[in-house]
Amino acid sequence: MSMKSADAALRATAPARAAAPVRTLARPSLLASLAPALLGLVVPGAFLVLWWGVVAAGVFPPSVLPSPFTVAAAAFDWAFGDPQNGGYSGTLAQAIWASGQRVLLGYAIAMALGVAIGVPTGASRLMGHLVDPFIHLLRPIPVTAWVPLSLVFFGFGFKGAVFLVALGSFFPIVVNTIEGVRGANRSLVKVGRMLGARGWRLLWYFILPASLPSVFVGLRLGMGISWVLIIVAEMMSVKSGIGYTLLDAYSFGRFDVVIAAMIVLGVMGFLSDRVIVAVQSVALRWHREVSIHAEQ
Amino acid sequence: MPSNETRDSDAILRCERLDRTFVSRDAGENRVLQDINFEMRKGEFVVLIGPSGCGKSTLLNIIAGFDRQTAGLALIDGRPIAGPGPDKAMVFQDYALLPWLNARENIEIGLKMQRMPAAQRTETALRFLELVGLAEAAERPVYKLSGGMQQRVSIARALALEPKVLLMDEPFGALDAFQRAIMHKELVRIWRATQATIIFVTHSLEEAVFLGERVVAMTPRAVGLTGELRIDMPRPRDPLSPEFAAVKRRLFEMITSHLTEEVAVFAE
Ligand SMILES: Nc1ncnc2c1ncn2[C@@H]1O[C@H](COP(=O)(O)OP(=O)(O)OP(=O)(O)O)[C@@H](O)[C@H]1O
Ligand SMILES: [Mg+2]
Repeated sequence: MSMKSADAALRATAPARAAAPVRTLARPSLLASLAPALLGLVVPGAFLVLWWGVVAAGVFPPSVLPSPFTVAAAAFDWAFGDPQNGGYSGTLAQAIWASGQRVLLGYAIAMALGVAIGVPTGASRLMGHLVDPFIHLLRPIPVTAWVPLSLVFFGFGFKGAVFLVALGSFFPIVVNTIEGVRGANRSLVKVGRMLGARGWRLLWYFILPASLPSVFVGLRLGMGISWVLIIVAEMMSVKSGIGYTLLDAYSFGRFDVVIAAMIVLGVMGFLSDRVIVAVQSVALRWHREVSIHAEQ
Repeated sequence: MPSNETRDSDAILRCERLDRTFVSRDAGENRVLQDINFEMRKGEFVVLIGPSGCGKSTLLNIIAGFDRQTAGLALIDGRPIAGPGPDKAMVFQDYALLPWLNARENIEIGLKMQRMPAAQRTETALRFLELVGLAEAAERPVYKLSGGMQQRVSIARALALEPKVLLMDEPFGALDAFQRAIMHKELVRIWRATQATIIFVTHSLEEAVFLGERVVAMTPRAVGLTGELRIDMPRPRDPLSPEFAAVKRRLFEMITSHLTEEVAVFAE
């Protein structure tokens, strides 16, 4: 090891070959790059073993706490079973689609409104005075408290679920957009004004790009809340989707399906967050790099 | 004053009996600038020097249009300064480049705000990058450039606006001694090539003597400008020569003769 690095140091002094050792130093080995992923599996693995152990020891009746294998079998049947068999067989895709479209639509509405209201509220002092107090009065009301009104206005079903999702994810998006626009790096705004930008051009070319990191924080929080609310909505008022399946399985004492539904929800939430992070890492490459530089 | 127009026809910047008082609830009134009279002709390189807190940035911000005086006049080309704009370009200590743009785009964005056509913009940006010695870095993201390179981009951005005055507020404060020495030489070269009018703020005697044609000193506690020194030493100036040391000493004495307890602060 020390021989190798000494060798690399020696070669690094020779200009013609300087690039080679630098590259090998910068690229982590396959094992090194897999190690974090493998380490990440240790605790979930231990948890599965513990779960299985508790079930095997008979601490709870198996009908209430099924073993990991029973849950896996239920999940498989839910996903790939023959719908002809009745019950939950083969209905997973349908359930995901039912919940997913409500989340997507509600989230899209929240995003559009959150940004459309957040940007002017952050940019203009007058708008801030007008809108800020209203948002901060509404925000502490738990979105679940809106369920009765939602039922009255939108009825049982699709519209009510979309409304709850949109309402819940609207607040983190709008609040973080306002913060981002208002807190856009002072000296960059100064630069914009010095360069002769006013009004819309100052907003579009200087303030908005600078506010994007904060907007993305809101988008991620909003997506997380979307999945909470879709389940609330489906448990209360809708007759399809993962949340409905979860409650339905509970009422039939099918705890294997309940747990499978929980896992599906976890995966859906995780995947949708990854999508936003992927978009963010493209849109905000500069921001990531700047933060990395700042940490040094 | 009817004779002003003829007398000051070559003055590009003029401050007359300028005052700036900050009023705050807890500290009360803080008169930072008092009765500042200051004039610059086109193409001049003036260094503004003084200890921390004496109001250098305050004065520069008024000239840049970011701040307003509480009394007196600040004129560029005979017209009162009404707000920030490309005729008074500032080079910031923290560079203030837009991190989502590359070096060339950081210069182009200013020209775009002046509604210059795209082709001409690119051509101009590249020309100014070349001027500051960064032709190769044009397409690199600015956050990947060193501090010295970022400051060059910032200087190129300001110069590309062809401002009437170039304002530099401790532009090299964040650089190490070697980079700073390089940037001093570069700045003198750029100044001669562009014939820009420059106000350069610093609290380093060495920087002042190396760069300035004229050094204007400020002292704190609301006494305004305390004196000025014309430096006719030929360029390139050698900071290690006896002449340089002598000028530095004269400048030091000039400033400290107006200071009492502040001497310790200033003898860096
Ligand atoms: N926005 C403001 N509100 C209140 N006081 C201010 C404001 N800006 C500056 N001051 C005060 O004005 C004085 C001069 O500040 P200024 O930044 O101009 O000093 P400076 O000469 O640039 O110092 P330095 O060399 O440290 O940059 C200080 O006492 C400061 O507290
Ligand atoms: Mg200052």
